[in-house]
Amino acid sequence: MSIVIENVSKSFGSFQALKDINLEIQTGELVALLGPSGSGKTSLLRIIAGLESANQGFIYFDKENITTITAKERKVGFVFQHYALFRHMTVFENIAYGLKVRPRNERPKKKDIEAKVYELLELVKLKDLAKRYPSQLSGGQRQRVALARALAVEPKVLLLDEPFGALDAKVRKELRRWLRRLHDEFHISSIFVTHDQEEALDVADKIVVMNQGKIEQIGTPNEVYENPQTPFVYDFLGNVNLFKGRLNNGKLLHGNTVTNVPDGDPSETREAIGYARPHDINISRVKSDEEEVKVSIAHLHIVGPSVQIELIREDTKEYLEAELPKEHYTKLNLKVGEKVFVKPKQLKVFIPEDYMI
Amino acid sequence: MAGNVPIQFSTVPQKQPAGTSDPKWVQWLLITIALAFLGLFLFLPLITVFIQAFAKGVNVYIEAITNPEALSAIKLTILVALIAIPLNAIFGIASAWAITKFQFRGKNILITLIDLPFAVSPVIAGLVFILLFGSRGLFGEWLFDNDIKIVFAVPGIVLATIFVTFPFVSRELIPLMQAQGTAEEEASITLGASGWKTFWYVTLPNIKWALLYGMILCNARAIGEFGAVSVVSGHIRGLTNTMPLHIEILYGEYQFAAAFAVASLMSLMAIFTLIIKSFLEWKAKKQISTEI
Repeated sequence: MSIVIENVSKSFGSFQALKDINLEIQTGELVALLGPSGSGKTSLLRIIAGLESANQGFIYFDKENITTITAKERKVGFVFQHYALFRHMTVFENIAYGLKVRPRNERPKKKDIEAKVYELLELVKLKDLAKRYPSQLSGGQRQRVALARALAVEPKVLLLDEPFGALDAKVRKELRRWLRRLHDEFHISSIFVTHDQEEALDVADKIVVMNQGKIEQIGTPNEVYENPQTPFVYDFLGNVNLFKGRLNNGKLLHGNTVTNVPDGDPSETREAIGYARPHDINISRVKSDEEEVKVSIAHLHIVGPSVQIELIREDTKEYLEAELPKEHYTKLNLKVGEKVFVKPKQLKVFIPEDYMI
Repeated sequence: MAGNVPIQFSTVPQKQPAGTSDPKWVQWLLITIALAFLGLFLFLPLITVFIQAFAKGVNVYIEAITNPEALSAIKLTILVALIAIPLNAIFGIASAWAITKFQFRGKNILITLIDLPFAVSPVIAGLVFILLFGSRGLFGEWLFDNDIKIVFAVPGIVLATIFVTFPFVSRELIPLMQAQGTAEEEASITLGASGWKTFWYVTLPNIKWALLYGMILCNARAIGEFGAVSVVSGHIRGLTNTMPLHIEILYGEYQFAAAFAVASLMSLMAIFTLIIKSFLEWKAKKQISTEI
């Protein structure tokens, strides 16, 4: 089922949670709503589910306007952040619930319900735990029960609110891979909310980055990571180095260095900030280029396949961070306190809207 | 076997005094004071009730609790409790539901109003009903014209009892329902359940022990209520006397054995209520411990 969100706004008292949101989700897509807390991502999810009503705007499922239809009638599967399993029911009863509460004439036969529940228990690999109560399950098991319960009613849309937020790192990684495989198998249009950029980049087909009630950027994980459209997206999706300076004639002056900015407007002269990811910082021992910045090495983190290097600029005393593959690092033979030269391989320049000194 | 294991290798845990333990004499002193108080103010009076009740023999006791006026008082007390408890249970669930699951204006005023019967004297509660429904009251004339009796009749007693007992159920439910939140109800609705089914299958099972506990407290108070009921009842023997009122009348007429006989019956009811209450507390505790 495709989902269209058109001009949706929502406020709670004087706080505006969503400002004029427009979003289209194709059938079978797995979309991540990514943003910091308070960015409005959960409100948007709850409005799609019908648990909250929008002050303005419309929501369409398959071109049908469902804005005024209640949560009960929308037939979405919703997985809650803290699972919200029915604590007085067993795993079996939890999963059967959605089928059991249907009106008498739509309700499947008892035998069919049982078959369906066991099919789902098989899917989430919890067949042996059917008789257990939620309190007797681990976090990961509860999450899978919640998912099975939502899938039992065969929803056309699956909505997940911070589905892995309360789990430890290892279980989280396993479960999200599993969710991805599950999604590939069933092809239900799914939206999940997360504040974890790694999770969004890892699982989603499409990422919607949200901030302060607005959508900052929509794109594939690769697009939003490699080509962020706003400083916020740059900052939120991974570490970033800032080169504060002045844009003049297609060049950015920062400290006492000048960097060519090919995509900047050459006629403008104003304050600007260049953004570069740590792994886009080149380090060399000798200065071979006017654009290189002289830095001293402040700290080295040598864990895992890559090495993180903290650097201090000689001219402005600002911190920079670089990331090198281990073999490259070994070749350079860097030591704390040494002076080296760095240059951003690519620099994306944004002009701050409210730049103040 | 080696006979002598050095203490640092011994597997027997060494006893370490707990950081919070007091000297022995302090413990004994506190226990003695607590027991003396309990004995003097609770146990002794209870024993006295039963001794006095049987002071003139078993026959007097049986006669006292089986004479028509006593029986009528017992029946009325039970009838009032049976009406007040379900009504207050419904009211309690409705108010707790409204307060914990919705946001609305005047919520704090509603919470304060629920506590009102705890704050005002029962006598005033009784007087309010006289002022409303008595012959010179606000609705007095209309009630007289339509031949409806409220004050100095059973409906008045029921109203006064409901008034003084209505905080019990909601007071029990509000904190519990606040702690449980609304996520389970939302889950139920997204799964396609109607509001009624959600209440019946999800909310009610989650609150049942607290609800029963509230009803038990409500019952204890309904049976024992004296002040408010005394004002509205009119003390008509065999008609509008509840057990506490009946006891007072007997006592006023120097029929001590009979008064204590009925009092002993009420004490038994109270003890029975306490047993049920403890059982429910134990049950509720078990439910909570399985949730963690």
